[in-house]
Amino acid sequence: MKLRIAFLFIGLLAMSMPASAQIELTGSYVPLLYEDYIERGPGSDLGDFTGMPMSDEGRAKALLYTSNLPSTIERQCLAQAPWVGMYRPLGMRIWSEVDRDDKVIAWKIEGDYLRDTLTIWMDGRPEPSPNALSTGAGFSTGKWEGDTLTVRTTHVKTTWIRRGNGIPASDQTTYWVHITRHDDLLTVVTIQEDPIYLTEPHVVSRVWRLDPRGNQGGRAICNTANEIPRLEDSGIVPHYLPGQNPEADFMMRTYNLPKEAALGYAQSLYPEYRHTLKSIYTPPASCGRYCCGWIERQGLPGAAPGLSCNDGGLGEINPIVRSKQGEGDGKAAPRK
Amino acid sequence: MCAATMLVFLTSNPDAQGRGAAQGRAGGPPPTAKAAAPFDPTGYWVAIVSEDWRWRMVTPAKGDVVSIPLSAEGLRVAEAWDPAKDEAAGEQCRAYGAPGLMRGPTRLHITWQDDSTLKIETDYGTQTRLLRFADAGRAGEAGRTGASGAKTWQGVTTAQWVMAAGGGRGRGAGPRHGSIKSVTTQLRPGYLRKNGVPYGDRAVFTEYWDMHTETNGDQYLVDTNLVEDPVYLQTPWITTLHFKKEKDGSKWDPSPCDARF
Repeated sequence: MKLRIAFLFIGLLAMSMPASAQIELTGSYVPLLYEDYIERGPGSDLGDFTGMPMSDEGRAKALLYTSNLPSTIERQCLAQAPWVGMYRPLGMRIWSEVDRDDKVIAWKIEGDYLRDTLTIWMDGRPEPSPNALSTGAGFSTGKWEGDTLTVRTTHVKTTWIRRGNGIPASDQTTYWVHITRHDDLLTVVTIQEDPIYLTEPHVVSRVWRLDPRGNQGGRAICNTANEIPRLEDSGIVPHYLPGQNPEADFMMRTYNLPKEAALGYAQSLYPEYRHTLKSIYTPPASCGRYCCGWIERQGLPGAAPGLSCNDGGLGEINPIVRSKQGEGDGKAAPRK
Repeated sequence: MCAATMLVFLTSNPDAQGRGAAQGRAGGPPPTAKAAAPFDPTGYWVAIVSEDWRWRMVTPAKGDVVSIPLSAEGLRVAEAWDPAKDEAAGEQCRAYGAPGLMRGPTRLHITWQDDSTLKIETDYGTQTRLLRFADAGRAGEAGRTGASGAKTWQGVTTAQWVMAAGGGRGRGAGPRHGSIKSVTTQLRPGYLRKNGVPYGDRAVFTEYWDMHTETNGDQYLVDTNLVEDPVYLQTPWITTLHFKKEKDGSKWDPSPCDARF
């Protein structure tokens, strides 16, 4: 009898599983910053468009960018694209909304620098008219393909694509996103299409790890405020005129990269471009900026004694850690 | 009643019907890895270097180890990188071992060598990896339990299909989905990055392979991977890589190992 009841219970439990959810995504996730660390940590170099398939229009617009541009009220939220988390250093939180039959009708994502909670509708509702309002989070629908949640996001506002150097995305952007969980790792792939500023889809893949402490996410609002007095009610839009951006060749002079690579020409994304590179590229003589990444920034036990890093003009990283290391071996000469 | 309830459970619970290697029909032998494949990984794939461009497409400066969670010993070894020494020692393929190779600017040519072995060839460094499919739960077992053998650039890789819930075979069944989980051990010491960022012979390279097909027909192979190294890393180095399917091998461009570029 007990066995029958157990079977009945298990059966009812199984029947109550939402058929549309292959993998539980609910939880907090921390991004693993082992790729594009400079962009996602301290921020991109100005004029670093490497890895981007930009159109001439996109490149021209990006080169108008100055670091003061985001200080204008109208542009303070431009970085906060729906999938900006791919380029940010902080975490996100995912949860589901269910109907009264416990069927998932939407997945919700809240995270660092999102302008609004991202809602991925799973209830089959149609996409709005192309003329419908674009919003900070856009409009997203999702469907399960096996254990991968595939998402399409449209109706977005004009934004910047990557972090801190003005690569533009238009409100005609469409994102295709694949979210796959393997154990505690969450892989997110975004395929961004933009008929104005990109010449081909921009594909990025990142890994996140489940954070059992649940303290990721939040900060889903962009507040605007005057930051620079001279911009207040003055109508000034900080910019460089075409052809006058002094950082347009920053990557070329700093890392010996050719223009096509530094300024985001699509051909530079593919292996055959190395034929071009081979005849013209020489590695920089030494690593002068952002070299160590993890070692001293974290100050973990085992951080390298006697070795030091240059954090790109920001000064020595974590001098307290270094001085403690220096006590042990008596030397901690900064690398120049 | 009991049988019916159990049947409901078995057909609803993904662990009962799909996780791990695919199971055979009742009484029959399990299907081969090739036959059980929920997606077709074969063909030519090209790396889209849209991330870490400056560290993947070209050789960065010596000591540029940003993004990699090196230990102090790892950093010390990276600082001592000397490509001339590697060339003199016949070790110019150090950056072409599996963990470094997959991040390289390469094309992949994936074929079934036999019913249980996927062959992955690269034109970058002309390397060949073999993913040998094992029973469920045994991916990586050999390496993690200390199996001995020659250490090679591509090591020894065991793999398994991890089947998604739903789908299946037979009338009315939906499309099958799943991933490959592979674990590579027995690696000859090499570089995670061309500028001498090291991994050692105790490194374990775990990968999850997924394929995504877009509505326009584009296909992407996504390799989520972890490099664990008790000597040179503070914590696992975890990244993803993405490759786009190409219609043929017309852009296949073999190039030998190069210790400098």
